Amino acid sequence: MDYAFFLEVLVGGLLSGIMYSLVAIGFVLIYKSSGVFNFAQGTMLLLAALTFVSLTERMVNFWVAFAITLMIMVVLGIIIERTVMRPLANQSLLSLFMATVGLNYFLEGLAQGVWDSAVHGVNLGISNDPIFLIDKFPVLGLDIIVSYFDMAAAGIAGLMILGLSLFFTFTRTGLSLRAVSDDHLAAMAVGIPLSRIWAIVWAVTGVICLIAGLLWGDRVSVSFTLTSAVLKGLPVILIGGLTSIPGAIVGGLIIGASEKLGEIYVAEWIGGQGIEHWWAYTTALLFLMVRPTGIFGEKEIERV
Amino acid sequence: MFYREAGKLVGSFGKDRRMLPLLEDRWLAVLFVAFMYFVVTAIASDYMFTAILIPIMVLGVATLGLNIAVGYTGQLSLGTAGFMCFGAFSAFNLILRIDWMTIPLAFFLSGMIAGGVGIIFGLPSLRIKGFYLIVSTLAAQFFAEWVFNAYPWFLNYTSSGVVSLPMHHYRVFPGQENTPFNAAFWYSSQGRYLVTLTVTILLVLACKNLVRSNTGRNWMAVRDMDIAAKVIGIPVAKTKLMAFFISTFYCGVAGAMYCYCYIGNLDFMIFNLRRSFLVMFMVIVGGLGSILGSFLGAIFVYAWPILITRGSDFIFGGGAIDTAFIENNSKIVVGTIIIVLLIREPGGFAALWSSSKQKLRVWPFAQ
Amino acid sequence: MNSPDNKKSILVLKDISLSFKGVKAITDISFNVYEGEICSVIGPNGAGKSSMLNVINGVYIPQEGTISFDGKEFTKMKPHSAAVMGIGRTFQNIALFSGMSVLDNIMSGRNLMMKANFWEHALNIGRAEKEELEHRQAVEEIIEFLGLQSIRKTPVASLAYGLQKRVELGRALAAKPKMLLLDEPMAGMTMEEKLDMSCFIQEINRNYGTTIVLIEHDMGVVMDISDHVVVLDYGKKIGDGAPDEVMNNQDVIDAYLGVSH
Repeated sequence: MDYAFFLEVLVGGLLSGIMYSLVAIGFVLIYKSSGVFNFAQGTMLLLAALTFVSLTERMVNFWVAFAITLMIMVVLGIIIERTVMRPLANQSLLSLFMATVGLNYFLEGLAQGVWDSAVHGVNLGISNDPIFLIDKFPVLGLDIIVSYFDMAAAGIAGLMILGLSLFFTFTRTGLSLRAVSDDHLAAMAVGIPLSRIWAIVWAVTGVICLIAGLLWGDRVSVSFTLTSAVLKGLPVILIGGLTSIPGAIVGGLIIGASEKLGEIYVAEWIGGQGIEHWWAYTTALLFLMVRPTGIFGEKEIERV
Repeated sequence: MFYREAGKLVGSFGKDRRMLPLLEDRWLAVLFVAFMYFVVTAIASDYMFTAILIPIMVLGVATLGLNIAVGYTGQLSLGTAGFMCFGAFSAFNLILRIDWMTIPLAFFLSGMIAGGVGIIFGLPSLRIKGFYLIVSTLAAQFFAEWVFNAYPWFLNYTSSGVVSLPMHHYRVFPGQENTPFNAAFWYSSQGRYLVTLTVTILLVLACKNLVRSNTGRNWMAVRDMDIAAKVIGIPVAKTKLMAFFISTFYCGVAGAMYCYCYIGNLDFMIFNLRRSFLVMFMVIVGGLGSILGSFLGAIFVYAWPILITRGSDFIFGGGAIDTAFIENNSKIVVGTIIIVLLIREPGGFAALWSSSKQKLRVWPFAQ
Repeated sequence: MNSPDNKKSILVLKDISLSFKGVKAITDISFNVYEGEICSVIGPNGAGKSSMLNVINGVYIPQEGTISFDGKEFTKMKPHSAAVMGIGRTFQNIALFSGMSVLDNIMSGRNLMMKANFWEHALNIGRAEKEELEHRQAVEEIIEFLGLQSIRKTPVASLAYGLQKRVELGRALAAKPKMLLLDEPMAGMTMEEKLDMSCFIQEINRNYGTTIVLIEHDMGVVMDISDHVVVLDYGKKIGDGAPDEVMNNQDVIDAYLGVSH
């Protein structure tokens, strides 16, 4: 086996894994605060990217467009929280999940109605050139080629993740969020304003959607295939354990690496390309067979 | 006042256990089935058969299958279309490769094969619980989409990726080689309608029997509280796997019918994740854990876009509203209805039906 | 009442220890339950009573110790094999199948006796129908015994708490258990309901010879109906014997009235 090539594939996988983590973190935040896997995340991502693109296509300044989209996403998040999630508080996991699936369907219809299904491009001005890692970072001693864009995207995603982790570890809101994720009723009983926490979380998710939407949009163009980001994020957070931000990062790296390695080394062996979808899920499945609640998930003791 | 429930007493447990305890209901059921067989077959148009009746029944069977897993046993599955795909390809290959294969037998066997696949992908349910389980059925979904594309053998090396059916032989009834009757039967929409209707009725009856038996009670026990089920001796693992088997059996048969009776060709592209979700919507809209609901859901989700189209054609003249609009509109409406139902009536249309029956019982004396 | 020594033990617990992530719930507990008796397990909250029942029917697996039931010894009991051997169980927080009717809940208690496979069920042929009717007969007797006739088709989720407890007892009883584990069968009930429930328990014990192990906080009831009382505190056994004996045990009095540990 060609070691350098293997490494190149692995690094490429890890870098794209960070992109998955970015999507997954949005899931984790909402799951932590309201116990629901938000299936509509993919469409929210698309909505953010579409809004942004239609603004910049009308010659709106990049940062103005960014700010406007941000506002729209925050408002959208709050509306969703008010109209869909709040009336369903304390329903079963399945109902909540289904509600977001319904929401996804709704938003998709809406987005297609407003924007039609044309493909847009988004250019963040990050070059897509390959770089030789040995030239840029001789310290690492890795003689491999990686995409500059992937590096930059991973960097942005990493910063975003770091910022969120700090926010939720060191601020009052973060503390409240963690309390809410442990127990809604107990959190309410000590005076944590549940609805405000939810609104904050949905707003933050809107922000994540925007950034992820732009990065993904630049990478694969802004079209309805962007909604499939949700399917990339799903195995990631399941491996990570649904409630854990570090879990989402580790899960993203695992899925990213496994996908790329599988595509190179497994696909030809079993006769066919395009295995990445089910391969990612099979990887997740194998992890879950060992740890049924993910790597960082809490194992529940059944009380009867 | 011919239809009343009060004062109808039964004298034995056997009578109490009937599918339809009321004599009037039994008559209605017989009349309905007779109507579907004789009147509809005689008068309905080709459009009615191929665009409305057959797809609704086929999707209803798939919904029923998913309902067995999700509604009755509480095992979340998002792989319905994948399992349908296994059924469709099994039926195709059985009919293609085995000379004496007849269509009913092929449907049954493709259900069995899909059921076997369902057991494999259901195995993780023994260890993984709740939401984590969707990984397994999604793996099944994507695996199905991939495998029938990657191995052209399954499509008999058809280069276009789509096979039109039936191209080999079409024995609906056993023992006969490709007789003119068989061919005429199969190529007429009435013939395919009758096959679909018969299969659907048999599967509905079997499901009704299952859910009122020990099997069904075990499913619901596992759904409601698996720890208590274990403690009273219900073999939880076996019950879950059996539910997966039967659920995917139904999906497999539905997949085979989808290709053979409805669209008339075989194409793995149609069994995508979107279709899985569509079936899931039918379950939610119709009502979790309800046989009637499965069909109500299938009717609503399937027929809504058609209703809009026909309605607009009727009011504004043909083609006044473009298809994209209708597609988006139906997405918005179905999405909204799902959310509203989950908030207001988690039991879906089936629960609406039974609560309105309850209201009628006491009307006009109480609310 | 017979004295313990001329009675056969149906359940022998030897040196059971159970901990969760290092937190000890039960420490070195041994006691016997004799065939045909009503044995109460008492103790303050958090004493390990429910955990004890969970160990007996295999919901929790103890780190140490052995359980023998009906002459067979286990280090690891499984809930399923416990049910097969004839251990029935009710739960502290009602564990009924909330989507099913009273009748179906109790019928599900007889699942171990039903032999028909799912093909027979699907087609309603062979053993399916016959079995269903036979067991229905037996279940109807239980329904009559517990006075649930008028609500047999009602979904259990819509029943009052006391009735739910009764249905749960019915479900456990439907399996014709040799031994019934009742986890606080009378908690949260009105005086009248408690009276009913203790009558049911005594009648089950007398008519079917079922051994009963129950957890209860109401001392009046415990002293009235038990043949044998085991007292737990902080996961340890501090008393074991006939009701009067236990009442006068200094450790037990301390545990209930509270002394500093």
